[in-house]
Amino acid sequence: MNSKYRLGIDAGGTFTDFVLAEQAGGSRLYKTLSTPADPTLAIRNGLALIAEDLDVALEEIIPNCDLCINGTTVGLNALIQHKGARTGLICTAGHEDSIEIRNGHKEDGYRYDAEYPPAVMLVPRNLRKGVRERVLSNGTVRTPMEEEDVRAACRDFIEEGIETIAISFVWSVLHPDHERRAAEIVREMMPDALVTIGSELYPQVREYTRTSTAITNAYLAPILKNYVTAVDAYFRSLGARAPVRYFQSNGGLATGDVVADRSVYAINSGPASAPRAGLHVTEPFDEKNVIIVDMGGTSFDITLTYEGVTNLNKNIDFLRYRIGVPMIQVETLGAGGGSIGWIDDMGLLQMGPQSAGSDPGPACYGRGGVEPTTTDVNLVLGYLNPDGLVGGRLPLDKTNAENAIRGRIAEPLGLSLEKAAYGMFTIVNANMVNGIRRVSIERGYDPRDFVLVCAGGATGAHITAIAREMGIDRIIVPKLASGLCAFGQIISDVKYNHMATCPVRLDNEEAYERVNALFRQIEQEGREHLHKDGFADDRIRITRSLEMRYVGQVHECTVDVETFDIDAQTVEQLKDAFHRRHKQLYTYSEPKNTVEVVNIESTLYGIVDKPSDARLSSGGGADSALKGTRMAIFSREGEHTRTPIYDGRKLGAGDRIEGPAIIEEVTTTIVVEPGWTAELHESGSYVISAKR
Amino acid sequence: MEQIVKKQKQASGSGVDPITLSVVRGILETTQREMTLSLEKTARSSVFNLAHDYSTALFNATPEMILQGQDIPIHLGSLIPAMKVVSAYFGDDIHEGDLILHNDPAYGGSHAIDTCMYKPVFYKGELVYWTVCKGHLTDIGGPVPAGYNPDAKEIYAECLRIPPVKIWDRGKPRNDVLNLLLTNMRARRDQEGDFNALIGACQVGERNLIRMLDKYGKEQVDTCIEELLVMAERQMRTLIRSVPDGTYEGTAVLEDAGHGFGDFDITAKVTIKEDNCHIEISSPPQVPYFINSYEGNSYSGVYLGLMMFAQLPPPYNEGLYRCVSVNMGPKGTLCNAKEPAPHMNCTTTPMETLTDAVRLAFEKAMPSKVAASWGHANGLNIAGWDRRHDEEYVTMVLATIISGAGATPQQDGWHACGPECCFGALTSGDVELLEHSYPIVIHRYSLMTDSGGAGLYRGGSGTAWEVEPLDGDMTFIMFGEGRRIPALGAAGAESEMAETKVGRLELKRDGKVETIRNNTIGVIKPGETVTNMNPGGGGYGDPRKRPVEKVAADIRLGLVSLEGARRDYGVVIEDEKSLKVDLEATRKLRAA
Repeated sequence: MNSKYRLGIDAGGTFTDFVLAEQAGGSRLYKTLSTPADPTLAIRNGLALIAEDLDVALEEIIPNCDLCINGTTVGLNALIQHKGARTGLICTAGHEDSIEIRNGHKEDGYRYDAEYPPAVMLVPRNLRKGVRERVLSNGTVRTPMEEEDVRAACRDFIEEGIETIAISFVWSVLHPDHERRAAEIVREMMPDALVTIGSELYPQVREYTRTSTAITNAYLAPILKNYVTAVDAYFRSLGARAPVRYFQSNGGLATGDVVADRSVYAINSGPASAPRAGLHVTEPFDEKNVIIVDMGGTSFDITLTYEGVTNLNKNIDFLRYRIGVPMIQVETLGAGGGSIGWIDDMGLLQMGPQSAGSDPGPACYGRGGVEPTTTDVNLVLGYLNPDGLVGGRLPLDKTNAENAIRGRIAEPLGLSLEKAAYGMFTIVNANMVNGIRRVSIERGYDPRDFVLVCAGGATGAHITAIAREMGIDRIIVPKLASGLCAFGQIISDVKYNHMATCPVRLDNEEAYERVNALFRQIEQEGREHLHKDGFADDRIRITRSLEMRYVGQVHECTVDVETFDIDAQTVEQLKDAFHRRHKQLYTYSEPKNTVEVVNIESTLYGIVDKPSDARLSSGGGADSALKGTRMAIFSREGEHTRTPIYDGRKLGAGDRIEGPAIIEEVTTTIVVEPGWTAELHESGSYVISAKR
Repeated sequence: MEQIVKKQKQASGSGVDPITLSVVRGILETTQREMTLSLEKTARSSVFNLAHDYSTALFNATPEMILQGQDIPIHLGSLIPAMKVVSAYFGDDIHEGDLILHNDPAYGGSHAIDTCMYKPVFYKGELVYWTVCKGHLTDIGGPVPAGYNPDAKEIYAECLRIPPVKIWDRGKPRNDVLNLLLTNMRARRDQEGDFNALIGACQVGERNLIRMLDKYGKEQVDTCIEELLVMAERQMRTLIRSVPDGTYEGTAVLEDAGHGFGDFDITAKVTIKEDNCHIEISSPPQVPYFINSYEGNSYSGVYLGLMMFAQLPPPYNEGLYRCVSVNMGPKGTLCNAKEPAPHMNCTTTPMETLTDAVRLAFEKAMPSKVAASWGHANGLNIAGWDRRHDEEYVTMVLATIISGAGATPQQDGWHACGPECCFGALTSGDVELLEHSYPIVIHRYSLMTDSGGAGLYRGGSGTAWEVEPLDGDMTFIMFGEGRRIPALGAAGAESEMAETKVGRLELKRDGKVETIRNNTIGVIKPGETVTNMNPGGGGYGDPRKRPVEKVAADIRLGLVSLEGARRDYGVVIEDEKSLKVDLEATRKLRAA
């Protein structure tokens, strides 16, 4: 049976997005409210919506999908709210506190105030159990493991009701036997507990990073396991042909068993697909420098791609927890459609980071929300259609929005409703601009060298204002903006990172063979995994990288290489690549000095066919899409401007619209401010340019 | 709203395009960060690459500091006087392709193991900027490995002194000079690698600055830089103006850590007049012991006390100090030392006491901003022979100086992020990376029960670091203070159980444990260990008012013992297992 569709489901803080792509080209986008208490409920609701729209039973649609893909925030939410499972740590005696000492470091320069407390410990000190054992830096055992210590720890854990356990010993990466034996004991004494083994999850040198990564993984594992079990079972019941794929923070797909086991790979999966989608929509315009901003209901995510390459982070602090495994670099702010406006102690107007979420949601949703939010502001400014969002499926109550802004903001500050609303709009934009500044200017990129890509349902109302503030003069808004991350997921490949540690000096044949053998081993494991997933060898792509340094250095620099065996000749290639990289990064190299390898990594991709792109037919001018006018506010003074409203569905390729104007797509609203021009491109994206 | 509008107006008041201003600021900060990153990633010395004991700064041609990164506060501002001295020393004799090395405190340096590299940046034939970095080498020659010699009576008995010297002349390395310097240092390969790292960092900075000039033009960039200096000045002036006019005095005690001259007082007198601030330091005459501070280093101590109080947001540049004048007291005193005073310990002792004095003075001016002191540094250097590679090793172990932070009027102190002079900027280095670099095994790196100062809000816990050499003798050299007097509490916080809150060293040999409190040099063998214990931070407020459930929680976490609960907090625990509080006994004890 040839499959007709591919389905992507991206859960966000407020909305869950569904993209149903036809293999022949063309995508449909659906949205439902997220249901954080039971995330699978939103999936069921969304699928019901699709079935209703296509007028086909779900049991006909799902078996017709070659792949169903899901990006989930359950791990992220649990980590933000510290609502992970009760976790225990088994570690080397004497090193119980390394995750609380955190390398003795305070992240934030000279700051030390009440709003900046120490990081919350995922495993409190009394649940970190030291075991007498010790491996030395050369991999030999100094002290054999006292198994009784492990058993004593388990007895305490049982008493404390611990359900998930991280095991992480010093130098386990060179001698994993102690961790493995400890895991056996734990499994024997606590058969229902989940176990994370440091040297298996993140086999790289650095005890603090490995332990912290293992703890975070253990903390989230039960939550992700429950989640994927429920989702997998549901899709099986609908007749899914292949297991559901989950999106990972490294920018690739994985199966449910992998995500449950390596849950730390899933913590920031939602926005990690944005760069892939961003490059896809900017491809027709030959843009390789892309800033993608995604404003959903709760948060604002920014990713930056420079010359086609998106930064991966390794060994970074994420939500203040040190995470070793690779993740796409994402800057996240609490600035979304649901962000609440409030007045602080000094009488200053603030927006967020608190969010009204999806329940009760913004005041205008009429579900009992009384706080004024960004969505209420956009409604009062005339940007959003009072008849409702999502094609009227989500009706809006303008009176509620006005009352909330008037009561909570305008009256206390002595401002008119309009001025208060525009002030809130300005502040939420300033927050977003500062976030973009952090990923661009603060990292040495001039934002004016980039094109801004709009993703997320709520971004369209702000996009020209943000670009104006940043000095960016070109914006791409895909019609699918609102589901761009879900779209990014369905055009992504399966991706697994396989790592190993291998500290050898590159000056002898034995060392070459050790590195070669280790690469072969981890790649063989990776291949077997992908074979089981149904990828034949011709659908597997492998890239390698080595972390190398000069002898005596402690930090490595990562060198990407082709897959070749290292021998007396090719080693020169490898060393040259390292010298070049070192010189490129640090202005000098030391070609006479010995080079050593520390860690190696192979990234294995299972190549997934991409659905075809649809092309829009030419339009007959924007006038035919004009559906009326609305009063809207574009200035601090708050005066009303009569603004034309266009129905995005009726626009064709080449149609141009001069600002001020508002374009209503089904799942997003685009505000074209005065001074900007929008043109719909045949690839299905609006190109919005500043008038020069 | 009004405020936002005002802010926007301010930014555009200078006539600088606000976007370009932000971009230039961002590029400067990125430049500095990349220099820092380059140092961290390439250096051989674990004091650089693991512990972040370095700093980088950018100067204009004046030379005026246009950006200091948020690196280690010990170095805060100390590059300002050093850069001026170095630039004046060479005068007109500064050329494209020169690189200048310097460490000497008599030429504006801090302590001589902190070695500075200065690169003049030329654009179209004109000197436009300096990229500068400074880092703590593992050795700088002299009689004792790692530079800290508690027996030195003069600076000549401490280390190799390097006045400003060109190691590159017009793009050409002066190999004879480099060889002279390196020949005088232990673990030569590491020192050479670290010189390369310093040079690389300066070049990374130069590369970014030139790219910026190519893109935005010198004139526009200069306007932006001046605006950034003015913005920093305005911030500091606004803050100073908010302090009531008057003169405020703070005195802190520098304890005798083994020199036998007794405890010393260091006093700071802060005079506020409108938006200007004058700080006058008085300290005892210099002593023949390594705790004298030359003027450059003392500037860092004073500026850190000021900045801990000010809590201003970045960027940090010389504009901050345009309204601040400092008098370090007469030449020949502890905080304004002159040759031949020995000085190696000065970046921690007496600097932290000097910082405390300045901060105490400001707290008198604005009691609402009072906070407790952080634990002072007392740590170890280690040295020996590494048989794995048949070479000498020597390093300062920064993991050993990680102390507890002070409590504030709102919260408990952070654990393990001191010492005061580093304010959390230091990192201890991963245990595996340390064991990879040196032939040692680290048996313990942990928080310490009862080490945080007692208070309504508790001070953060200090740390213990236990080490054993693996294959031969290891020399350990102690430095610092804070082994008798715990970190100062605030708002009436005092610890009854003081003995667990101070620094000390435990030497385990032949089944016996010896506690050492004076700065000492010793040798241990495989099978023997030393444990360096660092002080916790000071508490805030009356410990007897700390809620009993918080004390109980601390007991459960092992941060406070049953004895500590009783003595420090007046909380009596009924039974060790359930940790049930005996409320009646507690009430009685707390009332007593």
